[in-house]
Amino acid sequence: MNILLRKVLIAYPGSVFNNSVKDILVSGGVIKSIDDAVDAQDADVIDIPGLVVSPGWVDIFSHFADPGLEYRETLETGAAAAAAGGFTTVFAIPNTAPAIQSKTQAEYVVQKSKSLPVNIYPLGAVTKNLEGKELAEMYDMHASGAVAFSDGTQPVQSAGLLLKALQYVKAFDGVVVQVPMDKSIGQYGLINEGVVSTRLGLPGIPAMAEELIVARDIKLARYAESKIHFTGVSTAKSMEYIKRAKDAGLQVTCSVTPYHLYFCDEDMVSYDTNLKVTPPLRSKADREALKDAVLNGWVDCVASHHIPHNWDSKVCEFEYAKHGMIGLQTAYAVLQTAIPQLNAAQVVNLLCTNASKIFNLPTPGFAEGEAAALTLFNPAGQTRLTKENNKSKSANSPFFDQTLTGEVVGIINRNGLYRN
Amino acid sequence: MKLSTRHLLGIKDLTKEDISLILSTAEQFKEVLQRPVKKVPSLRDVTIVNLFYENSTRTRMSFELAERRLSADTLNFTASSSSAAKGETLLDTVNNILSMKVDMVVMRHSASGAPHFLSKHIPAAIINAGDGINEHPTQALLDAFSMREKTGRLEGLKVAIIGDIMHSRVALSNIYLLGKMGAEVTVAGPPTLIPKYISESFGIRVEYNVKKALQWCDVANVLRIQLERQNQPLFSSLREYNIAYGINRRLLESLGKEIVIMHPGPINRGVELDSDVADGPFSIILNQVENGVAVRMAALYLLANRGN
Repeated sequence: MNILLRKVLIAYPGSVFNNSVKDILVSGGVIKSIDDAVDAQDADVIDIPGLVVSPGWVDIFSHFADPGLEYRETLETGAAAAAAGGFTTVFAIPNTAPAIQSKTQAEYVVQKSKSLPVNIYPLGAVTKNLEGKELAEMYDMHASGAVAFSDGTQPVQSAGLLLKALQYVKAFDGVVVQVPMDKSIGQYGLINEGVVSTRLGLPGIPAMAEELIVARDIKLARYAESKIHFTGVSTAKSMEYIKRAKDAGLQVTCSVTPYHLYFCDEDMVSYDTNLKVTPPLRSKADREALKDAVLNGWVDCVASHHIPHNWDSKVCEFEYAKHGMIGLQTAYAVLQTAIPQLNAAQVVNLLCTNASKIFNLPTPGFAEGEAAALTLFNPAGQTRLTKENNKSKSANSPFFDQTLTGEVVGIINRNGLYRN
Repeated sequence: MKLSTRHLLGIKDLTKEDISLILSTAEQFKEVLQRPVKKVPSLRDVTIVNLFYENSTRTRMSFELAERRLSADTLNFTASSSSAAKGETLLDTVNNILSMKVDMVVMRHSASGAPHFLSKHIPAAIINAGDGINEHPTQALLDAFSMREKTGRLEGLKVAIIGDIMHSRVALSNIYLLGKMGAEVTVAGPPTLIPKYISESFGIRVEYNVKKALQWCDVANVLRIQLERQNQPLFSSLREYNIAYGINRRLLESLGKEIVIMHPGPINRGVELDSDVADGPFSIILNQVENGVAVRMAALYLLANRGN
């Protein structure tokens, strides 16, 4: 299959072609030529003004619910949503049934995804059955393709156990991914604690429930001299702690979700269950602090936190609704809409380069002869998620029928062009 | 005159004019209730379902009586003895009931926001009879009615709300209503039962010393300790609660002034209120119950669009 990209802006930090406008010919899944003007017969020509090409994007925290919860998502539907969102690589969280906690389950994900348009790497469980009691077989899972370790949406609560995990993964230069959340504080909370929760009569989750874990886990990572990655960071104070840890040279990195940059707790006045997420949407001041942190480069990655839920888990009383929203397909557009001044290089760092470094991904280079794993996007385009173009098996998103800035045109990966 | 809202989900959504309209309509219905024939034909073409997903005695009976005295047809639903116990969702249950041509829904539910959720999915008018720890609007309206009846005003009235503020929908609805009507509010109770942001959220006072709150107020609305809504221990024992925050005759006599004592019921006697206060001369607790019927008649009448 031949694909010719006509006059595209190359956003590939570290490459000699970065920031130049070229024609690119991809043939048989390999970059054949990068030049000012390339000619190729019988090639699929993509000629879109303003089109940007970058290394394929990476999402580090998505729930594909497979195996066990296939009524919410499968590896196939999840991969389709990821491809439509511009991602060529996705980390699947282990909150499946059974949990991804041994070689068998890790291999299932790796093998099954080989025929799919995107690379799916499992995040192996830190603890058996995600119960937070005993360490899972992380060494074996690592050897079987687990890219990093996390208990996903049920973060490790015990400091002692997390310390052991951080020490344990050093043997293979692993990373532990934590959603920072102390479950003993605001245990019964439903949204951010503050004026909004008080006025809505909903029990609150204090910002402190997150900040305590961030502060604690930074200390644990320092002691263990190991790598920790916080994802879904939602408060200004958490960001402050993380920045200080980075300044001190610790191996601490972090992600934020697109929706924490877009919404805040004031958007919850109509009890919209699609906005019920963990960590919760915080105050406006927190949201602004997160945006600043993104622009200042303190945030390493933007992670979709794509959590699919079936219809009746969301169309119900707020208290009974499940946490999370789908987000792979809208991740880039929500990010670009929330922070319009982000340039292509920043976007690519947040959605790709930083994750590749943090998680030691085998990312191909951008040169003739290299395998093509590319994302095509148009910052001036628009995205509109609809019932018709939604690829996920679930539809729990507040972004349906909203016009967002920024458009993913498609991906080129595994010898295929997947165009929206 | 008409209400500005189609549902009565909370006091939060009402205007000052709405509240005044409900209270003045309730006065007329209270007069009806003094007659030998305590019934009017206003809602004889209306069918109302009382959906109680949570236990209730006073509120359910009060609504039922209000509906009957307006000549409405009524249907009762209690979650424990119904399809909800078999796992049917709220939306399915309500749609099934509405397909039998029901016009209005009165609902109590343990989840905050449940009636708001319902209002997005069904055409019938909804009256919230209490949702989780959020609101209980008709209780606040009957409390206001009773306060005004006893003291002659709401504007400038000093009201202390005492007890479990955190788990109380009565507290929140009262705070909204009293704020809109120009009364002053202090909440008092143990710090573990008072939401951290309550003062900032509503511009009201917070007091941890019950005696000081009583000395300040004209009316004390004493709340029930919601043992069933506390998921974790928030005070050490009922005995200690009574010692520190309970209201007894001796405490009232030490104030050197008369205040009005209210309670939304059911009372935990010997915990938040001692019997000699609950049954004492300053208590208007039974008047609240009586007024509840008139206030609910007014709310039903106005939401059925019978105001003129």
